[in-house]
Amino acid sequence: MKKYWFVFQIQLLNSLAYPGELIGRALTIVPFMWIFYQLWRVTFASSGGAEINGLTLSMTMWYFAMTETIEISRPRVGNTIAEAVKDGSIAYLLSKPYNFLLYQYASAMGETIFRALLNAVFSGLVVWLLVGAPPSALGLAWASLAMLGAWTLHFCIAALIGLAAFAVEDVSAFLWVYQKAAFVLGGLLIPLDFYPAWLQTLARFFPFAALSYAPARLFIQPGLTAFLNVLAQQSGWIAALSLALALTYRAATRSLTINGG
Amino acid sequence: MPAIQVTNLQKTFQLKRKAAGLRGSLKALIQPEYTLVEAVRSLSFEMEAGELLGFIGPNGAGKSTTIKILTGILHPSGGQASVLGFTPWKQRQRLAFHIGTVFGQRPQLWYHLPAMDTFLLFGKIYEMEETHLQRRIGLLSEAFDLKGLLETPVRKLSLGQRMRCEVAASLLHQPQLLLLDEPSIGLDVVAKQHIRDAIRLMSQQEKVGVLLTSHDASDLEALCHRVIIINHGQIVYQDKVSNLKRKFLTRKTVEARYAQEIAPTFQVEGMETLKTGRYGVKLTFDSRQTPADAALLRLAAAGTLVDITISDPPLEEVIANIYTESAA
Repeated sequence: MKKYWFVFQIQLLNSLAYPGELIGRALTIVPFMWIFYQLWRVTFASSGGAEINGLTLSMTMWYFAMTETIEISRPRVGNTIAEAVKDGSIAYLLSKPYNFLLYQYASAMGETIFRALLNAVFSGLVVWLLVGAPPSALGLAWASLAMLGAWTLHFCIAALIGLAAFAVEDVSAFLWVYQKAAFVLGGLLIPLDFYPAWLQTLARFFPFAALSYAPARLFIQPGLTAFLNVLAQQSGWIAALSLALALTYRAATRSLTINGG
Repeated sequence: MPAIQVTNLQKTFQLKRKAAGLRGSLKALIQPEYTLVEAVRSLSFEMEAGELLGFIGPNGAGKSTTIKILTGILHPSGGQASVLGFTPWKQRQRLAFHIGTVFGQRPQLWYHLPAMDTFLLFGKIYEMEETHLQRRIGLLSEAFDLKGLLETPVRKLSLGQRMRCEVAASLLHQPQLLLLDEPSIGLDVVAKQHIRDAIRLMSQQEKVGVLLTSHDASDLEALCHRVIIINHGQIVYQDKVSNLKRKFLTRKTVEARYAQEIAPTFQVEGMETLKTGRYGVKLTFDSRQTPADAALLRLAAAGTLVDITISDPPLEEVIANIYTESAA
């Protein structure tokens, strides 16, 4: 596993090649959080109560700080694999003695960490200024672990879509559908608690809730049972999708054609 | 045991066909049409351990496809191949420990980081011990003249410097076989020479076999003992490079530029004038009848030379000659 740890480290270094760009990109989370605050401040005021379905404005804003950090920091796995297939650089990636998928995973996580750190700092500062301190430090610790699970799960889904490029080359439409499904069924823009019961039930049958809703909910209402539930939910999906990924990869490499000879 | 043994290798791709325009796009969407492209057709050859083998042909001849099958990246449609005793597409990861690859148009170095970071990463990927890795970096740095380059971000290096780093990186784990796919593409004469010298040196010192693909005949003249020419996925010629040179690389083209104006009827004995300009002239000669040194002396005698370039015929012409000869 040493080689994958080193791939992670080198990607970490690579993500620091342009620190200005890294910070500039992370700053985009600031206006997002401000817009969310304005929208939800009005919504809570018009509802007439301090809570909506058990969440206060402060909890809702910290929920969004977490979901947005997870979403914006996600590695570009699907695009990376698809571009490598399109421009032929897949030839290099496959000619080395490593497991291609583990290499991509290590690289994806290395790409994410600094971005996530900066996004968390900027979104946290804005939300703290707007609604006060976060719910609990324990929630942050548990949610951090759940974030790693969320990105691993995202890796499995996005890599599966990326591998489709071996057959169809352009996967941008699939990635678009995935992103929008994750927005809605993952509770990215509206916490699932605010959805009608039928939609909440539907969301349970998909992996998207484990991508952003579950870690963010754990952050604002931490507890051992909640943590174990998130862990079980993420592990189940990761196990099933990893298997699908391994089988798809095997089939994809057999039918690989490389552009440019 | 040969380093590479290929028997009746075949690779067929399915290509989607689409007529131009909106109508063509709609038709392709509803009723897609495919054509089968035979990139490699019944290819059979052997390469001995430590041999420097040129594998050349024009664009689209099937060179890169063959290399990719031999590295295990592509699965063949038929036939057999053994590389260092491994079946590449079945034992790709195990084979990768023993071969080095350079694909001239696909950089393997991390673009934003110094080449040294990629070297260290490769050291880990190839599971090399730290002391061995450092020794190899020192040795390759010497052979490829990389001092001062390894600490510079790759994006700041010239193409020639980058290619030297690329080839050195592929030799880091001391492979028994080096597969070079167009390593000199886009390089100037000096950079090409630099890379060729370093490859030749490493091949002599470490007995590493080199399979080199190129569409530049000068690459194989400078590096290889033997050459295989392929076209349309099939072998059209294989022989020693010395024989190929004697038979087919005899017609040279010269472009000369003089300090004074030249006559439109400019002629040199033993050479055929192709084109004349105000100061420049393009000629051709057969080196079997007019030796290169005699040609140069005659050109120098005709006026004050400012610039002169002698080039080999393009590979397409060599292949056309081979076809004509075999037909005759």
